[in-house]
Amino acid sequence: MLVLNFLHYPKQLINKLLMGDWLIIILSLVGIFYLFQSLWTNEHAARVQISVGNEIYATYSLNQQREIHLHGKLGDAVISISQGKARFSQSPCNTQYCVHQGWLSHAGQVAICLPNQISLELLGERKLYDSLNY
Amino acid sequence: MRYLLLFFTFLLTGCFKEPLYHSQSYVFGTLVDISIYGETDERARFLANNILADFQNLHKQLHAWKPVSGNKLSELGELNAAISAGNQAVKVSPALANMLLDATDLSLKSNGLFNPAIGHLISTWGFQRDEFSAVNVNETAVKNLLHAQPRMTDLVIKANFIYSTNPTVKLDLGGYAKGYALDIAASYLRKEQAKNALINIGGNVIALGKHGDNPWRVGIQHPRAPTAIATLELADGWAIGTSGDYQRYFMLNGQRYCHIIDPRTGYPAQQTQSVTVLVPPQASSKTQAGVLSDVVSKPIFIETAANRNAAAQAFGIENFMVIDAQAAIFVSAKMVNKLHWTDAGVKFSTLP
Repeated sequence: MLVLNFLHYPKQLINKLLMGDWLIIILSLVGIFYLFQSLWTNEHAARVQISVGNEIYATYSLNQQREIHLHGKLGDAVISISQGKARFSQSPCNTQYCVHQGWLSHAGQVAICLPNQISLELLGERKLYDSLNY
Repeated sequence: MRYLLLFFTFLLTGCFKEPLYHSQSYVFGTLVDISIYGETDERARFLANNILADFQNLHKQLHAWKPVSGNKLSELGELNAAISAGNQAVKVSPALANMLLDATDLSLKSNGLFNPAIGHLISTWGFQRDEFSAVNVNETAVKNLLHAQPRMTDLVIKANFIYSTNPTVKLDLGGYAKGYALDIAASYLRKEQAKNALINIGGNVIALGKHGDNPWRVGIQHPRAPTAIATLELADGWAIGTSGDYQRYFMLNGQRYCHIIDPRTGYPAQQTQSVTVLVPPQASSKTQAGVLSDVVSKPIFIETAANRNAAAQAFGIENFMVIDAQAAIFVSAKMVNKLHWTDAGVKFSTLP
């Protein structure tokens, strides 16, 4: 009913709004604006998504100091997270391509260890592409 | 009143979960990434699992160097064994016979630079393994194989029976199978009337429909950094493929040896870091976009700078990008407007 009223008699409705209602409306708008600004325009990654084999293993915040020990197809690998960045720091594979990729810090960056079947993808709020042609 | 307003505010902000299904798996020794848009989660999972099962079967049919179960060779492996033993003709499935006929046509078009008959050269360089390590090159073996000239036209294919007039032919469809798998997946999804999907098999990607209101967007890997160098839109039915020297290679004495072998020299091609080709949908009677996206990047990768355009034109490909060994970027005239560079200050040359 109230919604219909709002559509037909906006003036009456606005007059009926109390201080608290206005506060909620204004705070919500400010909140939406703030989230839009901070999440849509920031290309620095916020989280790292780790996949092992066919499964998404976990997603971690990049705002921490942490070492993650994982068991891949070949053996144990270590992924490090530090101050907005993530990398493979140890891998049992021969070629070590994944370790040589070094630190990743921007949304959309990926490091893949094909032999050990572990991959990292940095997530931001805006995805630059749907899939990477690597 | 106030509760209602609060409710609608939350409804607006916490809204829409996209109908996007995404899965990633390891098949063909590489990463397979499937996105399906606009289907229920259940149906998308069903479609993706069927595609992956098809890929697994193709892998078993076409594996070039490993027994696929127990001691049993793949269908292609059996054919290779018969060729090398100089035996009589082998009966193969119609699907494999058609693939080899198509690959022979493509090999001719590429002036032999796309040559799936050089499996022995590839294994001499140590690339028919799950993991690569530096090999000391056996120069005599390379020279002998070069002299023996294994070619697709050595195959005699008649009514699904195949033999080779040259026993040094060893078939390796590494530069064909992933593209073929894309075409299989695309035609399966069309048959199932799934309209929107993006399938990526180790750097070969095909698009169906769109990602919601927007086209699918694909990132092109930077050959020397863990990031995309550019992105582009992939329209319905288009495919894109990148061949690089950075996913399968080894270093020896400071020199990079990648898995793409120049059939003219028997050595890995060394003047290119990566080649990307963008392929429009093809008429149904012709080689499909997926296969072309896999095959055409190879001759361009191997060719000298002066002949890259001709190598692309031989397949009717107008959109391509080359990054050479000095990291110089060359983009075909048609492709320039399609690329969005990740780094706005990037320097590149436009090919005439």
